[in-house]
Amino acid sequence: MTAETIIQSLASGLLMGLLYGLIAVGLALIFGLMDVVNFAHGEFLMIAMYATFFLFAFFAIDPLLAAPLVAAALFVFGALVYLCVVRFAVRAKANAGMVQIFSTFGLAIVMRGLAQFFFTPDYRSITHSWLGGKTFSIAGIYLPVPQLAGALVSIAAFTALYFFINRTDFGRALEATREDAGAVALVGIDKNRVFALGWGLGAALVGLAGAIMAMFFYVYPDVGASFALIAYVTVALGGFGSVFGAFAGGIVVGLVEAGTTLILPPSLKSVGIYAVYLLVVFIRPRGLFGSL
Amino acid sequence: MSITRRNVLLGASAVAALAPIAARAETSEVAIGVIYPFSGASAQIGVDAQKAFETAAEIINNKYDFDLPLARTEGLPGLGGAKVKLVFADHQADPQKGRAEAERLITQDKVCAIVGTYQSAVAVTVSQICERYQIPFISADNSSPSLHRRGLKFYFRAAPHDEMFSAAMFDFFDAMKKKGTKIETLALFHEDTIFGTDSSNAQLKLAADRGYKVVADIKYRANSPSLTAEVQQIKAANADVLMPSSYTTDAILLVKTMAELGYKPKNIVAQDAGFAEKATYDAVGDKLEGVISRGSFSLDLAQKRPMVGLINEMYRAKSGKDFNDYSSRQFMGLIVMADAINRAKSTDGDKIREALVATDMPGEQTIMPWRRVKFDEMGQNNFADPVLLQYSAKTFVTIFPEQAAVSEAIWPMNS
Repeated sequence: MTAETIIQSLASGLLMGLLYGLIAVGLALIFGLMDVVNFAHGEFLMIAMYATFFLFAFFAIDPLLAAPLVAAALFVFGALVYLCVVRFAVRAKANAGMVQIFSTFGLAIVMRGLAQFFFTPDYRSITHSWLGGKTFSIAGIYLPVPQLAGALVSIAAFTALYFFINRTDFGRALEATREDAGAVALVGIDKNRVFALGWGLGAALVGLAGAIMAMFFYVYPDVGASFALIAYVTVALGGFGSVFGAFAGGIVVGLVEAGTTLILPPSLKSVGIYAVYLLVVFIRPRGLFGSL
Repeated sequence: MSITRRNVLLGASAVAALAPIAARAETSEVAIGVIYPFSGASAQIGVDAQKAFETAAEIINNKYDFDLPLARTEGLPGLGGAKVKLVFADHQADPQKGRAEAERLITQDKVCAIVGTYQSAVAVTVSQICERYQIPFISADNSSPSLHRRGLKFYFRAAPHDEMFSAAMFDFFDAMKKKGTKIETLALFHEDTIFGTDSSNAQLKLAADRGYKVVADIKYRANSPSLTAEVQQIKAANADVLMPSSYTTDAILLVKTMAELGYKPKNIVAQDAGFAEKATYDAVGDKLEGVISRGSFSLDLAQKRPMVGLINEMYRAKSGKDFNDYSSRQFMGLIVMADAINRAKSTDGDKIREALVATDMPGEQTIMPWRRVKFDEMGQNNFADPVLLQYSAKTFVTIFPEQAAVSEAIWPMNS
């Protein structure tokens, strides 16, 4: 094993990890806000990727330009999912936890089924985009441009999110609702509105990730499944509800995954992630940056 | 409704009137189970397979002037013209779901035979269930060699398996070496279920026997979100030939990742699967110019056997795609099974099994380049000769073996 192989592995792992973080942050945000795990998170990613693909196929809009449009569309979609599905699920008097799980889980199955029905199960790819297929290389280390762009978008999105949550009124309302949803009602904050905007924001972030991913990954109705699993691990690792935790968790997952393949056969590369996850669960059950 | 004598009589006479219809319905239709992934990561395979089976059923159930068993008659003459009815079941690429669905097909839908399954891992469980219920099973498109070596009496496979396919690849390498081409090192890249594992085992053995050096043997997890680390190892090995055994999703990601990491393999000789699928070439075809894949079917056979072209037209009208290595084998799977049921003149599992054992179908009566369809004592057809196809100028041409080849191989692939 040469130094070049190690650096290349870690660099690729870091780029992938930043993207994992961006995929996971929406999940962390929604969970932190209202203690609901969105089991349809992977399907949000799937429709974002399809939206990017269709914008490209029908209107020749490059994924880079499509990204803000897709994020905006997903914002609306996420808010609607809260208003039309989740709002009723959290009102359940009995078995509230189960009702929440099954409502988003059911949503995931419906979305997957509809996608297969309308879009067919064919694998779609964006064959040529501005960045697609381009590679940046320095000293024998190859960095694919789409993933590089994804990493930059991810860093930018996290920075913006940090300022948004800490410096704006809405961000403070978000934090307050998260602390005590009952008390904020007394000071005139509409809980439903905050939750709907929170869902929209979470979905918009995964929409951004989906648009970037469509540049280098194939799209099909089940594409969300493998990424969603990683997103759940990322969130649990970083700490439930912690936005910064998702960022750090993503990087850890990406690096550990890449590092594992240097030691173990590639078919076992997920083993490293789950081993680290178990370790965190034993030593620090609330996750690396969890505050719960 | 109260139970009066009149109502009882009424009910009884209704049952009596319907009974003959029910009995007739039973003889005029023969239910055959077709078990494929219709949802999940490989749903696209199942959806295309369904069209291939429907094409075969249409030819069996109606009159067509093809030199194919059961084409010139309507239905199955051996069963008084009974029509073939397909019952589809979804196994979602999961061996356990396959087991449950096979059981349901047999006990509830009363199918007399089952055809499947694309993923070899699912064929393992489905064929076990069929064995238990003594229902014949045809592996239409599974290629793992271990499948027919489990001593199952009700298992049959008309198509070649991966040892035959891999042997063809090494025969091809030997032939190229004789012509003076340098082929010394191989890199194997395979997924981690029974398909990839069996394929690489066959290739490792052949490489050792014939004196090729395997410089990388990489087993990866199917449907991975990223293959960067795996590709780096292939790149570091930089073998004369890269031999992938990958399903569609991984094939697309593999080719994309190789391009991203600036690696152009000298040659790719693929174990079919993803490298036979239109989706792969739609996504990354520009990077696959000159790739060689094994196959059991080639559309250029239509030049010699016009019915291949005509049946392909029927399939394309349904699916919008040309026959490929998978859909053609699926098509033949149903033809072979229906032919046996017809000769058995019964829907009894044992009788169909006897008829399958007695199958001897000349190659000209198939849509494949096979010599004939005749099963050995393990249920494998050893007369199914594989071919190697090369992708060039957006189409596949047969390059090996010589008697089937329509063109010389382009070697190395980028030349």
